[in-house]
Amino acid sequence: MTEPVRLARQTRVASCQDILAIGPLLVHRDDDLLDIVRRSARQPATRTIGVIDDDGRVVGIIRVLRLTESIVARVSPEAVMVGIKDAVEVGRFGHAVEDRIAGDIMEPPATISPEATVSEAFREMHKHQVTGLYVVDAAGRPTGYVDLLELAIRLADALDEERRSNSDRASNGGGAASGGGASDQAPTAPGSLGGDATAEGP
Amino acid sequence: MQELLAGVVFLIAYVLIATDRYDKTILALLGGLVMILLGIIDQHEAFAAIDFNVIFLLAGMMILAGILRRTGFFQWIAILSTKIAAGEPFRLLIVLSFVAAVLSAFLDNVTTVVLIAPVTLYIAAALHVSPVPFLISEILASNIGGTATLIGDPPNILIGSASGLDFGAFLLNMGPPAILIFLAFLVTVRVFFGRQLEVHPEIRDAVLALDEREVLEEPRLLRISLIVIGLTIGAFLVHGAFGFEPATIALFGAAVLMLLARIEPSEVLEEIEWPTLFFFIGLFMLVEGIVHVGLVQAAADVLLDITGRQQGVTTISLLWLSGFASAIVDNIPYTATMIPVVRDMAAEGLAIEPLWWALALGACLGGNATIIGASANVVVANLATRAGHPIGFRDFLPYGIVVVVESLVIASVYMWLRYLA
Repeated sequence: MTEPVRLARQTRVASCQDILAIGPLLVHRDDDLLDIVRRSARQPATRTIGVIDDDGRVVGIIRVLRLTESIVARVSPEAVMVGIKDAVEVGRFGHAVEDRIAGDIMEPPATISPEATVSEAFREMHKHQVTGLYVVDAAGRPTGYVDLLELAIRLADALDEERRSNSDRASNGGGAASGGGASDQAPTAPGSLGGDATAEGP
Repeated sequence: MQELLAGVVFLIAYVLIATDRYDKTILALLGGLVMILLGIIDQHEAFAAIDFNVIFLLAGMMILAGILRRTGFFQWIAILSTKIAAGEPFRLLIVLSFVAAVLSAFLDNVTTVVLIAPVTLYIAAALHVSPVPFLISEILASNIGGTATLIGDPPNILIGSASGLDFGAFLLNMGPPAILIFLAFLVTVRVFFGRQLEVHPEIRDAVLALDEREVLEEPRLLRISLIVIGLTIGAFLVHGAFGFEPATIALFGAAVLMLLARIEPSEVLEEIEWPTLFFFIGLFMLVEGIVHVGLVQAAADVLLDITGRQQGVTTISLLWLSGFASAIVDNIPYTATMIPVVRDMAAEGLAIEPLWWALALGACLGGNATIIGASANVVVANLATRAGHPIGFRDFLPYGIVVVVESLVIASVYMWLRYLA
């Protein structure tokens, strides 16, 4: 493993959260869903909305998809009904047609500490099926927001750096050993293919 | 000694299934296999007891319903029926119950109630009324509708296969009481829910805005599914005359639909509820254990002693016993156990057909008594809780008990007049 990749594995969330201009969007449990939609539309890149209590702690999250589902279900329920297959989905639909405030549709909070690594943040996003996490302090108050894409960009930078340093090493002659390895293998593969072709030819 | 062992294994499995603490499929399978391990029956006898006519009829119908489910048909018909009711809540309750009853007579009850529930929940929300009266009525109607045909409810499938009575015989004998009971049910729900469902005329229009065409996903698949299912049901009507078993008809229909639907078989076969099928497999082996040692024969003798071996008393007693037993325990294991009992009763000289109808009516209708009495009840309770409108055991019980008692009274009068007078 090269140095840039090794370092990337230890990258902290705190160093990623400000790469893109995707900030937190915080609402209260009693906020009306229609108001939340309008606020969300002003900040469209934030796909996970945070719900905070009176002390400012994150007590839940709202996914934009779920928010939209609740609005659509009130106007055009047929669109949400399509594809319902089991009791769990029916239950969700039943909720959606009655949801009015943030508390109705919020899900358990998906948060991460700024000290957590990028891979831990990714696992957390995967577990909660969200594209962003609220970065919180020890008391559970949000200090920032980290988006899936910020994690990806941080790691992509490391991979780019690795590629660059590899090609530098190759052009400086440092890659003699690996180049030799490749030239050892090169005649073997075509040779064996050619052998097969010859065997079949006559 | 063998009798005692078999009785204890059966009783433990039965009690554990009834208490619902462990998965019933695993319990039934383990119970059947323990019968083999203890040497009560050997593997050959256990496997020979598995009624593959039942297993494959269920599998075939699950495939047909599973494909139809993809088309949006259930929601389509539910929306269409709400338009007939023109936004009047009680009329909506009646038409949705009717749809639940008719669809349940031909398709799986759980699929039916689950897929008309979204429309129900939306309508209740739009009318600002509780969805609970609608959901309770749909459960009750679905179990009544399922009583009417051989393929409507699992107890009927079991009895149909064991008795050799065909689809037409079920329709002619179980259809009339099911219709009478459904009509009485409509009067009863009026008393139960009539007042709860009065809404301001202005908000009635909300449900009229629904467009049924928007829920239809695959029109081509819908047309094909309805044609194949229609032909399959048509074939059920005449299967007896051609000497085919219902499972052959159902599996043939399923295979043809899979071919025409052009869906990956693996995707369609995922729709089969394998736990239900393995539950039946386990039960057949479990019951064979107590049949083999003669316990079922003994139980039949005891029941006949109590009823004085009179046809009328025995038949009506079996109807009510089945009704109450199915309210408390799952009606599938109950029916599986009682089938050999009924056979033994007939061997003692009683006419068997009225006994089959008594068992079928009691087992199907009894499932309405409690929220855990039948699979459809349990699933609707689950989705209602998730939708924020829980239906507790006690919430359902008064409605369930009244409907079951009136159903059994009607069934008793019908049985008496048609078969016993």
